[in-house]
Amino acid sequence: MWSWQKRLNERHMAPIRRLVIVLSTTILFLLVLRATIVSSQTADQLQPGFGQALSSVRSAQTAGATPNEIAPLVSLLNKALKLNDQAANADSQMRSQLQTQISQQLASVEAQAGQLESIASQRTFTSNVIAYLSGGVGALIATLAYAYGTSFWRKYRVKRTFQMKISTK
Amino acid sequence: MSLQKRTLVIVFITFLIVFEMAAYVATTPRPREQFYQLYVLGANHMAADYYPNDDPNIRMGDAVRWYVGVTNFMGSVQLVEIRVKLGNQTIQPPDDQHAFPSQAPLVTAFHRFIQGNETWEFPFIWQISNATSSGGIVRILGLQISNQTIQLLNSSAHNGYNFRLIIELWTWNVDSSSFEFGWFAGTEHRIAWLQVWFNATAVH
Repeated sequence: MWSWQKRLNERHMAPIRRLVIVLSTTILFLLVLRATIVSSQTADQLQPGFGQALSSVRSAQTAGATPNEIAPLVSLLNKALKLNDQAANADSQMRSQLQTQISQQLASVEAQAGQLESIASQRTFTSNVIAYLSGGVGALIATLAYAYGTSFWRKYRVKRTFQMKISTK
Repeated sequence: MSLQKRTLVIVFITFLIVFEMAAYVATTPRPREQFYQLYVLGANHMAADYYPNDDPNIRMGDAVRWYVGVTNFMGSVQLVEIRVKLGNQTIQPPDDQHAFPSQAPLVTAFHRFIQGNETWEFPFIWQISNATSSGGIVRILGLQISNQTIQLLNSSAHNGYNFRLIIELWTWNVDSSSFEFGWFAGTEHRIAWLQVWFNATAVH
């Protein structure tokens, strides 16, 4: 009796188990497909040098380079980007030539950004020192003004006191 | 030390604190909200006239002129990419909650480095160059975008109704060395996308 019931249960369980396997396989497949589609959109044909050049330009900007100083570097980066697009559609010989040009341009951007960073950081340091020093100088001038002001006020009060007249009502 | 000198020292220290605080405020850049602005304008550079003769039913060979623009408010130089996708009514648009891009097929992409507070705007001129219709299903097989013909697959709509061009903003992530959908403002993942609906009922 027990074995018959067990066999019946197993017979009932078999389609459920199959269904669970099919469902989990489908879900897994859909998840993998979704991941594949998303990652295929993020596959980009940009040389790694672009990222390095962008980082060096950002470092120059963080160091205090002005938008006018950054503009030529951004222009060079955009030229390199255009060459990169041309290289994607060119034949192998042309592509290698264009890639050499891109590498040169990116190296030039990195070198210029490095120079700009050192100049900008020095300038920022100098302007910070001047700002804090001028704060000290300003405090000194304000204190002197306060001292002279209180002194004049005291003298004025003394003078006014001595100029007082006693009059009878 | 006399009372007067002591007073002067206290006054000097007070002024020094005030002036140095002013110097600190002047030299420290203020934190700003980091975001991008993405827009599409119509043929007359306004948020109108998106279709030729104001008819959203685009015929084969009808040139549609839009202006797509991005403004960078991230405070630094950024590499941005505009991805244009062709969807229909059933394809999901980008997921704002989970910051997933749309699964619609990619038509074309435009990329550029832009400075902080700079706006990059370009004319986006497109037309349907190839389409078929059979059994009530209209398939767009080719789009011409700025003199470049792009072959498409799997872009269909029932009777040609409710196609849409989805415009997504992607940005270059220096850490992962790849474009990512949207951008990170601190730890928050934000996205920007637009869509313009059109019909292609008169291609057959």
